[in-house]
Amino acid sequence: MIGLLEIWRRRFQFVLIALIVTLISYLVLMINGLGVGLNDLAGSALRNWDADGIAYSQAAGLSVIRSELGTETVERIAAAEGVEESAPLGYVAANYRDAEDEIASAAFIGYDPGTIGEPDVINGEALSPSQRDGLLADKSFLKAAGLEVGDTVMVSLRLTSREFQIVGEIDEGAFFFQPAVYVLRSTWQELKYGTTEGVPVASVVLLKGDNLPGMQGDGFEVVDKSTAFANIEGVEGQQSTVTALRWFGYLIGAMVIGVFFYVLTIQKVPQIGVLKAIGASDFFVFRQLLLQVLTLSVAGLAVSVPLAWATEQALGSLPDAVPIAFTTGTYVTTCLALLATAIIGALFSIRQVFKTDPIIALGQQQ
Amino acid sequence: MAILELRDVVKTYGSGENAVEAVKNVSFELEDGEFIALVGPSGSGKTTLLAMIGALLTPTSGEIICGGRQLSELSNGERARFRRDNVGYVFQANNLLPYLTAKENLMVVRSIGGNGPSSASERANELLRELGLEKRASALATALSGGERQRVAIGRALMNDPQFILVDEPTANLDSVRGKQVVESLIKEVKGRNKAGIMVTHDLSMAEMADRILEIRDGQLHTSGPAK
Repeated sequence: MIGLLEIWRRRFQFVLIALIVTLISYLVLMINGLGVGLNDLAGSALRNWDADGIAYSQAAGLSVIRSELGTETVERIAAAEGVEESAPLGYVAANYRDAEDEIASAAFIGYDPGTIGEPDVINGEALSPSQRDGLLADKSFLKAAGLEVGDTVMVSLRLTSREFQIVGEIDEGAFFFQPAVYVLRSTWQELKYGTTEGVPVASVVLLKGDNLPGMQGDGFEVVDKSTAFANIEGVEGQQSTVTALRWFGYLIGAMVIGVFFYVLTIQKVPQIGVLKAIGASDFFVFRQLLLQVLTLSVAGLAVSVPLAWATEQALGSLPDAVPIAFTTGTYVTTCLALLATAIIGALFSIRQVFKTDPIIALGQQQ
Repeated sequence: MAILELRDVVKTYGSGENAVEAVKNVSFELEDGEFIALVGPSGSGKTTLLAMIGALLTPTSGEIICGGRQLSELSNGERARFRRDNVGYVFQANNLLPYLTAKENLMVVRSIGGNGPSSASERANELLRELGLEKRASALATALSGGERQRVAIGRALMNDPQFILVDEPTANLDSVRGKQVVESLIKEVKGRNKAGIMVTHDLSMAEMADRILEIRDGQLHTSGPAK
């Protein structure tokens, strides 16, 4: 294929273009990684909940912060049609003192051991139903706080402070941009309301069963996890920001690749004329161009994907981690989108290929 | 037997009062195996005529018939295929692809879909050997001398085993000694393969090597007679 031969023979020029492709795809990958990382911070704990639906107080407008459910409502939810399992959860944000005695915030989630609301412990022990001063800390909490399983931590809320022991480590992620900490539901009631008597018993209820999302009942409504996630305060604005950045990245990518190859094509008009004069079809000429664009894009991605991965690793080892995260899905969709972008960029040049009159081969001097 | 027939071919550039008739009512036939020299001063219309025969230009009126087909009735794509399969073009400025080697410039003909006897690599080697270029096969086109480039261009024109060869001022950029060498190897290749050919030149000493000379002046065919 002469398109590939040309890349090899003019490798200096083409390496420069591939470098631009690398930088643009690195930029777009990092933006996408930032999107994933920010979403993880916003509510990966919610996405990790083992539930088919989440019930909110009808008055809460799908806000976990504002949702409060009393005993009767929780019982009605558990008895609703289609519900097979249910687990009430409480949420409250509280401050704690980290290893350096600095104050930081964590998302305290109250649950009942033995229900679908219980997180998997990856290190240490699970909470027993009587461990009112124990907590399960997410690994992001331990990293941010500089603490380990077995340490004690001072938690303050409502003008009082209370010492907890870190009993186990979990991998549930973050909630409301804070690391998640799981405590007993009664402990959560005490943290949030100061007492367990005559106060709401849960913020939301996790549900398993069929056809639950969309269900409305007396004082409650049920949505699926992705709706619940999208309704986390701040997520909508954050997602639209990241989406806008991502589209700008693709747009700039298409324009830069398109313009580069357009200039290259214009420079090669005499050669295109010769190829057409000796009988090459427009399709043949365009195929070479497309082959070059795809080769450079794949080469660019082959550098930028490992680079993005290495950046994620490097940033992850910093104490104040930048919220960047990649999933295999991020890489695959970003790479495919960038390849599509490159092809769209190459289409800018197709008119020039069709327009070139082979008669020019007669007149030109080299 | 005529493999190419021109009947009252006219080419007019522009329209109305500014119209210029570059080629006026030209008729002739190219016999199988015949090599014609088309001579005339610059601006006489010989390159225009050659471009019409090579399906690069469409006549304003008249007919060019090759293999029972009227060239002016072909679509753009069909004309590209006609050039690929039937015509070997040697341009005035050899027009090799600069980033390819001598041999690769020949192989391009096959990668664009052109046919021909034997494998592309063997055929390219054979042509380069006959043109005295076997030692230069892997030299980039930009590293070749003018005469070498022109001979590579001849090889490229023969690569697809065309029905006829069209050559436009092959010696324009060469001194007379090298020009003569190039034309000699051209005629040897064309004759050796029993191909027909038309060569445009303004150099009578080159034209004399052809079977027949057609003289064109102001777009009209004036004399046509045997060269030898």
